[in-house]
Amino acid sequence: MIYKVSYVVVDKPNLGAIVNLDTPPRVGDRVQLGDGLFEVTEVIDLLPPREDFSYLHVTCRPVQEAT
Amino acid sequence: MSIIELLQRSELFSGLKPEQIEQIAALGHEVVYNAGDAIIREGDPSDEMYVIRSGMVEVLVSRGVIPDVPGPPQLTPLVRLGQGQFFGEMALVDRGARSATVRCAEDGTVLYLIPRQAFWSLCDDNHHIGYVVMRNVAADLSFKLRHRNLQVRLTGDES
Repeated sequence: MIYKVSYVVVDKPNLGAIVNLDTPPRVGDRVQLGDGLFEVTEVIDLLPPREDFSYLHVTCRPVQEAT
Repeated sequence: MSIIELLQRSELFSGLKPEQIEQIAALGHEVVYNAGDAIIREGDPSDEMYVIRSGMVEVLVSRGVIPDVPGPPQLTPLVRLGQGQFFGEMALVDRGARSATVRCAEDGTVLYLIPRQAFWSLCDDNHHIGYVVMRNVAADLSFKLRHRNLQVRLTGDES
């Protein structure tokens, strides 16, 4: 399965990303988007899976705000 | 990862048989960019689309059009795209000018460039390939729109 993931960072417009992953993201994971490091706070199914693809939405927050 | 494997792992070609993907792989070639390089520019003619083999690109749009103001337009980032994603696909659908600027975001980003005309010729010869790819283009545009809707909802950004 290939995980097509939509990343959105709360309160940070224009920092979103769309990437393919081999493993699904999980709450608590840390991800680099641009120059910043972010923590995953939410993972939801965005669409039903189709063929080899699973479609996920991930909400993130800056790591600095989490510590 | 070979070009065949890259295309097999891209949603754009999901549902195609291996021999059909080989036909598509034969149409294009690799290009390499460094961070800050403009890959395509908003308003330019569109003659090809790109699949990201490795690295990251950034999609940007200009804010307003003020012809009397000299200098480059002010660009607003919309989204970053990583491995397996594709861009420039709107050219396949509408043949219009580029709707956004795409800039390389990481040194050594490798893209696979597919010329539009050669790809259209292949689709004309094999309607199944054309149907599957156009279905996948529609699904990807829908995914990008859903991503954008969530971005507006969660960040309040309406740019």
